[in-house]
Amino acid sequence: MKGPFKTKIGNEHDRSIHQKKNTLSSGIVIFIALFTICFVQGQTPNDALMMPSKNICVLLGYDAGQFNRYWEGDYLRKNETIATVDRNTILPMAAVGIFDNLNLYLSLPYVKTESSEPNGGRFAGAKGFQDFGIALKYKALEKPIGNGRLSLLSTIGYTTPATNYLSDYMPYSLGFGAPEFALRGIAQYQLENGFYIRGMLAHLWRGTTEAERDYYYNDGSYYSALMDVPNAWNFEGIIGAWFFDTTLKLEFNYVGLKSTSGDDIRAYNAAQPTNKVKFDRIGASLQYYIPAIKGLGIVAYHSRVVNGLNTAKFSNTGVGLTFQFQYLKDKNQEEDAQ
Amino acid sequence: MRNRNYRLLLIVLVCILVVSCEKEIPTKLEFANYTYSGTDENGGDWNPILIDNGDEIEVDAPEDVTSENYQSELSQLKASIENINAEQKRAINYWTNNPVVRWNEITLELIAKYNLIPGPNEDESYTLPNPSNPEGPPAFPFAHPPYASRALAYLSVAQFDGLISAWHYKYLYNRLAPYQQNGAIAYAYEPNDIPSYPSDGAVLARVSKSVLLAMFPLEGEYLQKMEDEHLESLLLSGGNVSSDIMAGVSIGDQISAIALARAANDGMKNAQTPKAVSDSIKAAAFERFGWQWDNLEIPVRPVGLTPLFGKVRMWNIENVESVRPIPPPQLDSQEYLEDVAILKDYADNVTEERRRIANFWQDGLGTYTPPGHWNRFANEFIVESKMNPLRSARTMAYLNMAIMDAGISCWDAKYYYHYPRPIQNIPGFKTIAGTPNFPSYTSGHSVFSAAGAEVLAYIFPEKASLVRGWAEEAAISRVYGGIHWTFDATVGTDQGREVAQYTIDVAKTDGAD
Repeated sequence: MKGPFKTKIGNEHDRSIHQKKNTLSSGIVIFIALFTICFVQGQTPNDALMMPSKNICVLLGYDAGQFNRYWEGDYLRKNETIATVDRNTILPMAAVGIFDNLNLYLSLPYVKTESSEPNGGRFAGAKGFQDFGIALKYKALEKPIGNGRLSLLSTIGYTTPATNYLSDYMPYSLGFGAPEFALRGIAQYQLENGFYIRGMLAHLWRGTTEAERDYYYNDGSYYSALMDVPNAWNFEGIIGAWFFDTTLKLEFNYVGLKSTSGDDIRAYNAAQPTNKVKFDRIGASLQYYIPAIKGLGIVAYHSRVVNGLNTAKFSNTGVGLTFQFQYLKDKNQEEDAQ
Repeated sequence: MRNRNYRLLLIVLVCILVVSCEKEIPTKLEFANYTYSGTDENGGDWNPILIDNGDEIEVDAPEDVTSENYQSELSQLKASIENINAEQKRAINYWTNNPVVRWNEITLELIAKYNLIPGPNEDESYTLPNPSNPEGPPAFPFAHPPYASRALAYLSVAQFDGLISAWHYKYLYNRLAPYQQNGAIAYAYEPNDIPSYPSDGAVLARVSKSVLLAMFPLEGEYLQKMEDEHLESLLLSGGNVSSDIMAGVSIGDQISAIALARAANDGMKNAQTPKAVSDSIKAAAFERFGWQWDNLEIPVRPVGLTPLFGKVRMWNIENVESVRPIPPPQLDSQEYLEDVAILKDYADNVTEERRRIANFWQDGLGTYTPPGHWNRFANEFIVESKMNPLRSARTMAYLNMAIMDAGISCWDAKYYYHYPRPIQNIPGFKTIAGTPNFPSYTSGHSVFSAAGAEVLAYIFPEKASLVRGWAEEAAISRVYGGIHWTFDATVGTDQGREVAQYTIDVAKTDGAD
């Protein structure tokens, strides 16, 4: 690789143009992967960024979350049986640019949960791979409006448990244990000066999870191991900006989730996957790519649930490393090589 | 591009279908009404439990079928059936011709609804459910396994005695059902030759409502609704006229009063002791054996669950101490140390099979409890073998007497020996099941399940090895869960079998075999 790799990344459009220029100018680069940058919270099924065609971004994130209070129905309570519950996640994920306007996402989180000591319940925590996720994001529209650009995107996603973890073991269960199909609509408006706002609306169709008992109470008797995990609406509102020649991105986000059905956690009783969950969460994230190392980016974020129903008052902090490279050489690159 | 969009849309639709299908989850035992495998004409001569004979309850002779009153009842019934609506049809299908199963399911649902342990107050104290202030909080009752076993026993015994009485008068007075009197009246269920006066369904409706209302005092409105719906469906099925039902309700009132009088004085009201009594029970055990069980919750619960349930009046055993098991191992014995190693091994190596077993039999808070689980099996067997309501009630009565006696015997052992739980004795030990608020030895699941299995093995001999296997699995499930020693389970299983034998001996001579 020769010549400085100029890491100017304002948005996916800039980046793909920029990258193409770069590869064209570096004739000897054929079998060497070409790195550029991608982001942890950027480059997800929920945002407005697109990977350029023939590029892959892999990321490895670590998330440390915990709660010591939760909402039983709408009553916020503590419970020394579980004390503070820690939930640590390692998130490997890949974003693949199939076309410039169609990206594929793959993810498989590893989760570990446990209670702090001392606690009154003496329950063992849980650990293991959670849900395998696959998503396709399609950019339907991008056009200049005023002194900014409007982007409209849609994502379809599917997740399903990767292992036979027990969902009916709350609050330690790794996930809700059911397949989920998500349909998202994303709209972003970005000003030329780097400020942007984004909104996301999604509907999450969730299937049933299988417990290891064949009777449970959900506002009445159910004689089955199958538990209906309620469908949900998911919203996001984001305000963000790029700084320092688009090497640093700062975002403030709101995330909401609202189940469309389900029962309440009963008094001093364990939660179960059938519960009607609702939360409002706010957070901030910082993303930075390191000009010195091509393709490498870092991200850090913090978020906390501020209001909820049948859910934990959860706060989490995460850091991640991202690495982007080109997995298929461009045609003209091959020609260059010959 | 357009083509791709359509393909995408198709994928989306298929995914939604795959994920959102299969949401019909059964809320009851699904069965259609059936032809009874027998009618038990001599059922009125069987030995009841609470009364000496079926004719101890008085039921007046019905009016003759040729009487004006009866004929007018018939024509009223005919008119009502002609105007039946969809909701009434649904009710007839729901109740079926074996409402013993439905009332049992209602009981299991109420147990699950009320099986919630009271949490601590803000000041870290605990308030116990109080029958004189059932609204609470916390609401009365806390339907834990002993409470559940007792509710099921009184329900089933009262149903059984009421039906023996009904059968006695049915075959004494021999008044045939309205659909057999008048060809224009169709019967909603499979026809049978059992006389309809007094109505057995009405006995069940009234007995069940009355007993359950005493056990779950906040459920009056719901229980009344279910009784009304059941009584109406008895009429609209074409199986009973009003006077059949009134006679059945009268038996139900009398039998439930007798059952509830026994319940009021069986010792249950003293089972949850004050702290001073609980402390002295604990101190006595420490003095005797050198160990004591302690609650490890935060904040600590001052009193274990129903320390004096072991003193509640038993159904078929005179003296609870006569079936008390041998003492558990000393805490420095080889047997005990080997058990510690077994428990550590299970905790360190949770296999899929052991986890499944621990969870399948857990029947913990918020569920119908182990007594409820065995009732559920009985419901399934009853339907499978097409029992009539009398024989169904008999099955449930002996099952639930044995299970309650098992619970009483188990609780006697628990608080006599006051043996510590694994989490108390093994440092840093963690479990995959919740450790209950009472001593370890013997395991309630083991005793309840073995007793339930023995009665079901007696009534359904073809199921004997199946149910005994289940009971052993239920017992070991508690060891896999990390909350019981293996000897809690093995000795508990023997204890349950022994206790059940007393009930089975009574059943064998009641005239039904």
